Amino acid sequence: MAAPKGCYFGKLLDVDLSSGKITTKTLEEKICHDYLGGIGLGAYLLYKELPAKTDPLSPQNMLCVLTGPLNGTACPACRLNVSFKSPLTGIYGHTQVGGPMGNELKWSGWDGIIFRGKAPKPVYLHIYDDKVELRDAGKLWGKDTYTTDEMLKEELQDLDIKTLVIGPAGENGVLFSAMIVDRFRAAARSGGGAVMGSKNLKAIAVHGTKAVPLLNIDAFNNAAKQAAEAARTQEAWDGIKRMGTAVLIENANYNSGTLVTKNYQTSWFPDVGRIGAEEAYRTFWKRNVSCPNCPVHCMKVGVLRNTGFDGLIAEGPEYETGTLFGSNLAVSDFDFMMKAVEYCDAMGMDTISAGVVCGYAMELVERGLLNVEKDLDGIELRWGNGEAVLKALEAIAFRKGKAGAFLGMGTKRMGEKLGGDAPKYAMQVKGQEMAAHEPRGFKGRGVSYALGPRGGCHHEGNDPQGQALWTMIGSAVMCTFIGGVPFNKAKINPQVVCDMLNAGAGWNWTPDVYWTTAKRLITLQRCFNIREAGISRKDDRLPDRFKEPLPEGPKKGQSFSEEDTKKMQDAYYAYYGWDDNGIPTAETLQKLGLDYAVADVVKK
Amino acid sequence: MSNEKEEQKDGLSRRLFLKRSVQVAAALPIAGAVAEAATPAPAPSAPTKPKMKYLFAERAACTGCRACEYACSQFHEKGVTRPALSRIHIRRYKGIVDVPNICWHCEDAPCIKSCPTTPKAIRKVKETNAIEFIDNKTCLGAKCNKCIEACPPKYLRRNPDTGWPLFCDLCGGDPECVKACNKMAEGELAPTLITKQSGGGVNLTYREVTADEAAESLIQNFYFPNNEGDRR
Repeated sequence: MAAPKGCYFGKLLDVDLSSGKITTKTLEEKICHDYLGGIGLGAYLLYKELPAKTDPLSPQNMLCVLTGPLNGTACPACRLNVSFKSPLTGIYGHTQVGGPMGNELKWSGWDGIIFRGKAPKPVYLHIYDDKVELRDAGKLWGKDTYTTDEMLKEELQDLDIKTLVIGPAGENGVLFSAMIVDRFRAAARSGGGAVMGSKNLKAIAVHGTKAVPLLNIDAFNNAAKQAAEAARTQEAWDGIKRMGTAVLIENANYNSGTLVTKNYQTSWFPDVGRIGAEEAYRTFWKRNVSCPNCPVHCMKVGVLRNTGFDGLIAEGPEYETGTLFGSNLAVSDFDFMMKAVEYCDAMGMDTISAGVVCGYAMELVERGLLNVEKDLDGIELRWGNGEAVLKALEAIAFRKGKAGAFLGMGTKRMGEKLGGDAPKYAMQVKGQEMAAHEPRGFKGRGVSYALGPRGGCHHEGNDPQGQALWTMIGSAVMCTFIGGVPFNKAKINPQVVCDMLNAGAGWNWTPDVYWTTAKRLITLQRCFNIREAGISRKDDRLPDRFKEPLPEGPKKGQSFSEEDTKKMQDAYYAYYGWDDNGIPTAETLQKLGLDYAVADVVKK
Repeated sequence: MSNEKEEQKDGLSRRLFLKRSVQVAAALPIAGAVAEAATPAPAPSAPTKPKMKYLFAERAACTGCRACEYACSQFHEKGVTRPALSRIHIRRYKGIVDVPNICWHCEDAPCIKSCPTTPKAIRKVKETNAIEFIDNKTCLGAKCNKCIEACPPKYLRRNPDTGWPLFCDLCGGDPECVKACNKMAEGELAPTLITKQSGGGVNLTYREVTADEAAESLIQNFYFPNNEGDRR
C-alpha cells in the first residue's frame, strides 16, 4: 500500500466530535486512483464506514468534507465537495460549492475532513496547516452565515481564513439547509447543513500555506493551462461572464422553453423582463466576483436601492435562484426575489429546495389542499405574494410554528403528510426538489433529474455519458463550467483531466480509464442508494405532471411521456451494465472492482 | 537613497557582487549563465533601454480570481502554485469587495531605508524599479520587523517557511501577474493590474492606503451601506 506520489497529501483529518479526538487517516494511492476524490471518494468512505441504514441526523452519520486531486494546483476553478447520507432523501448526499474554501483546505495540507459523532456543545474546527483544534462556538450559535464568517475572522484575528458555515436553518434541522462559503456560495443540495447542525458543528475555518505536491510540475502546469484556455475561449460562456447564469432566465422563457413557472405548471412567464438579467444589469449589479483562478467570473454582486430593502447587498440572481423565487412563485418583483435569495444565503438554506417548497405550498393552497389559516399560521402563500414568501422563509429557517415545521420538511414529506392528491404536485425525485429547468422543454434534464444519484438535481448530466462526465468533474472537484458541459466534453474532457492527473500523480490514465472510473463511481453511488433505500427503476422517474403537455411557451405541446421515461431508463441501465430493474449486476460490480458491494446489492 | 546611489557608483563589495551574479545566473538558462558570470560588469553600451516600470492596481475592477497570485508563485517558485508565497495577494472583504495588495514600488522605498543591516538586505534595481531581496544571510528574518512596519500600505508579508519578507521584483520588468490579469479579464471585463513606464508618480497615489482602508472605501463607494448595521 503506497502513498500517493502527487496531487494528494495522502491524509485526511478524522474528527470525532463526541470525544473531541482528532486523528489522521492515511489515504492509499489505490483509493485515490480508483475513487479520485470529491463525490467518488465520499461515496467510498460512506459505503465502507457508515453502518447500513444509519439515521442521517444521528451522530453516527459521517460528514465528509473532501477536496479532489486538482484542488490547489494551477487547474482553474476548483471547488469543495461535501458528502454525507442525506436527511432529505435518505440516500447518498453530496454537494459542491465554489469559492476559495476547497483550495484553502488543500493548501492546509489535508485532502479532506471526516466528521463523526456529535459534539456535546456547539464547536467549530480551526485549521492552520498542521495546527488543528476544535473551538467553542457558543457565541456563534444562532448567528446568520455572514455574521458567523465575520465573527470568526475577528476571533481568530486572521482576515485570510476561509470558512464553511451553517446558519440558523442548519442548526434548527431544516432538511434542505445549506453550508455557506464566502457569504454567497452555498453547498446547498441534499441538506448537508442539517447534518452539520445535528453534529453541533457550526463552522470550519481554514488557513493553508502549503503547496500541493506534484510529480511533474511543468507537464502539469501545461495541461492546466490547456484546461484554462479551453474555458477562457469557450464562446458559450461569454454571456455568463457578463451577466452570470441569469442570462438563461430570459433565454429559457423565450427560446428553450425551460423556464419553470408556477410550480412547473407551465414554462411561460410574461413578466420575465422584471426578474431577468437585464433588470439586474440595469438596476442591481455592481461587481463581478470570481472563484479562484476562474476565467468565467459568473458571480455578480449588487445592492438594492430605493426599495423597501434599501441597501440590501446580495449575489445573483442566478438562473436557479432567480427562476425559483421569481417565475416559479409568479413573483414579478425583483426586490422581493432578491431579498428571498439573500435571506436563504444568510440563513443557510438551499434556494432551489426553498423555492420549490414555496411553489408547492402555493399550488396546494390554490387547489384547496392546504389551509392558510389552519396549516400555515396565516401566511398567505398565494401566487405572486412576495411578502408571504419572506414570512414563510423566516418560519422555515427558525422552525416557527406549524408552518415552519411543515414547510421545513421538503416537498416529499409535505405531500406524504397531507395525503390524498397532494403528493401528485410535489416536484421532487427521490425526495430532492428539482431545479429550475423544465424537463418537458429540454428532455435531457429529465435524465438528470430522474437518474441522478442524488435525486432531482440539474447537475448530474443530461445523458448516460453526460452523467459519467459530471460525476468525474465532481470527483476531481472542478467546476462544470471548466470541467466541461455536454456540448464541449470532446474539447475539454477527458483528455485534459487525464493529462493533469498523469503529470501530477504519475498515473497512466487514458480516456478509457476515465470512463471506466466514471462508471465505477456512478455504480458505487447506486449501490449505496440501493443499500440505504432500496432504490430501483420505480424511483428513477419524474413526477406525473410531466406527462401532460406544456400548455404554453416556445415548447408548447411537448411532454415527457411514459415511453420517454422507459427509453431513458433502458439506455441508462444498459450504459452502466445494470439489470432491468436498475440494479448493478454481479458481473458489472466485479468488473469495476466493487466486489465488496455484491453481497448488499445483488439478490440471491 | 543617497546610500543606494553611492553603493552603485562605487561598485558593490566583491562578495555582494559575486552573490548577485550567481542570483542572475540562477534565473537564466545555463549557457547564458556562464556568459553572464564571465562578464565583469553589465555592458553600458547594450541597446536595451532602462525598463523603469511601475505596477498599478485599479482596485474597483478586481474580481478576486487570484490568477495573479498563481502566476506570481509559479514564476518565483519554479512552477509551484502556492499563493502563500505570492508577492501579490488578494483579500476578499465581507464577501463583496476584493482588494489587491501590491507593492507600489515607492521612489523613496521606506522598506529599504528601514533595513537595519549592513549591507542592506534589500535593494532597488534602477533598471527595472524592482525591490529585490538580495541577501538571505544578512536579513534578520523573523527577528526583525522593520521593513514590514515601514511599508506605508502594510503590504509586506513573510514567507511562512523562512520568515523572510516577500518583495516584488516586477519579474525583472515584465510582471507575470499583469499578464495573468489581462488574460483573465479579456473580453467582458476590465483588467485590474497595469504596468507601464514609470511616470507622473501615479504609482504613489494609493501608497498610504492599507488594504483594510481600501476595502472600507470600496464598500462605501459600491454599496453605500446605510446605518442599520453592516449587512444592510
